[in-house]
Amino acid sequence: MGGAVRWRGLLAHGVAALFCAAILLPLLWLVRVALTDKLTAYKLPPEWVTPRLHNFVEIFTDYPFLTYFINSVVVAAGSTAVALPLAAMMAYAFARYDTGGLPLRLFVLSSQMLPPVILVLPLFALFLWAQLLNTWFALIIAHLTISLPFLSWLLVAFFQGDVRLLEQAARIDGATRFQAFLKVTLPVTAPGLLSAGLLAFILSWNEFLFVLILSGPQTNTLPVGLSAFQTQRGVELALLSAATLVAIAPVFVLLPFMRRYLIKGLSLGALK
Amino acid sequence: MAAGALARRDQRFGLLLTAPGLAALLLVVLFPLGFAVFTSLFDYTLVHPNHDTFVGFDKYVEAWNADYLPDALWTTVKFVVASVVIEFVIGFSVALALNRVTRFKNVYYIILLAPLLMNPVVVAQLWRMILHSELGIMNYVLGMIGIGKINFLGDPVAAFWTVVLVDIWHQVSFMAILLLAGLAALPREPYEAARMDGASAVQTFVHITLPLMRPVIAVALLLRLIFAIKTFDIVFIMTKGGPGTATDLISYFIYRSAFFGLDVGRASAMSVALLLIVLALTIYLYRYMKSLA
Repeated sequence: MGGAVRWRGLLAHGVAALFCAAILLPLLWLVRVALTDKLTAYKLPPEWVTPRLHNFVEIFTDYPFLTYFINSVVVAAGSTAVALPLAAMMAYAFARYDTGGLPLRLFVLSSQMLPPVILVLPLFALFLWAQLLNTWFALIIAHLTISLPFLSWLLVAFFQGDVRLLEQAARIDGATRFQAFLKVTLPVTAPGLLSAGLLAFILSWNEFLFVLILSGPQTNTLPVGLSAFQTQRGVELALLSAATLVAIAPVFVLLPFMRRYLIKGLSLGALK
Repeated sequence: MAAGALARRDQRFGLLLTAPGLAALLLVVLFPLGFAVFTSLFDYTLVHPNHDTFVGFDKYVEAWNADYLPDALWTTVKFVVASVVIEFVIGFSVALALNRVTRFKNVYYIILLAPLLMNPVVVAQLWRMILHSELGIMNYVLGMIGIGKINFLGDPVAAFWTVVLVDIWHQVSFMAILLLAGLAALPREPYEAARMDGASAVQTFVHITLPLMRPVIAVALLLRLIFAIKTFDIVFIMTKGGPGTATDLISYFIYRSAFFGLDVGRASAMSVALLLIVLALTIYLYRYMKSLA
């Protein structure tokens, strides 16, 4: 009996370790290529050379990666900053007063589920007409179509629960509905709201299709810059790897701040 | 009477809070959607981007008869089924394993999260580099253990499974994490009762774990299913739908019709059809999400 339990424990560790190796090995290879020089990057069998950070400098000096990076930050921060307050108010109304009922909730959920290719065609036609293609404004609007429904749906789950009791206490003490929301609910739920905002930031940071269609050389974000990298001078493996690492770094910096709320976010609030 | 007045005030306050967000949502989502439906009724091309020629439902007929649409639909169905099923099997195994271990659990969990938040373009570029048929490390490693070179992206069958596997690498953690959250929330009592009755591990899994996990499994599968239908980036970076139509997923097909075929009207007609499919799946999903709450 004890033997069977220990054997199953080992099997569990085996499965988990194997799975983690499958995830880690390609990423470690990426780091390795990013630290080599251009010629060594292509050599098979792989050769070890002294790791150099040269590639990380070159993508910023010889390529417009700084522009891409700034564009990514502006668009992701801009759309999240617009979406978060709007979504918080809407989600609070859903959670507390069931405003709009089933039709409105289904509308919000469906907006979130839309394949982006469906929205990108009309947005392209509209921005073409309004002469707004290749502007930050157009990209922020386009990313609102992702972050606004995502946050409005997700935040409902944050407003259900014990915070309701605190609100009732405040209301009995004479606070108006708005005061209770502003001075009790928002401060109490703030950590959750902010990490949901970070998740929306990452969704926008990673978005590709909208930017591909709606942006131009001055407004390209990192994903589009990365996708075009292959065509400039053939494929420069070492530079591409360095650029790739720069594009994913912010996500890993933000990860610890939202781990607690990640499952809620990924399951759209269905799981805690 | 006072209760009625209070309820009315509640309602008014709710509407007030909803108004700005709803207005924005109508403007950025519903208005473009309406515009797409409108455009699908006109001969709107990128050569003549205007609504001058009304053609009724002609674009829908054209879309239905478009060359390679059946191929794209079939490829999409194969891709969605293959990736979601395999992700479910691997994801559930990993979730069961992680639910059992205590040592290193945090380490495993952090590694598990890594691909999930990564940019799909990054994931596709990473694997394109590794799987390059001449310069990639994968064929070199396969060669060391005596397997001949595989043309991962040049051969139609290999390319299809390469795209499926890259999607699995990227998304399987989603399944694993959701299922793990479900497993961790299961009640302990049924398992103790099963142990008293001498049930085997397999019996316990089939008769207790699976039925209790049903709603979580349904939500995880439906979410992944809907997200898989959206897949675009991997195909754009790795294969451009090719070779031939081997990896021509529906999102990429619609993109091609609009921006290479230049026929936005026809692409809009296809979008409207895709929209209806996704809406139906979403309504189904909503029911399961309610059952979890």
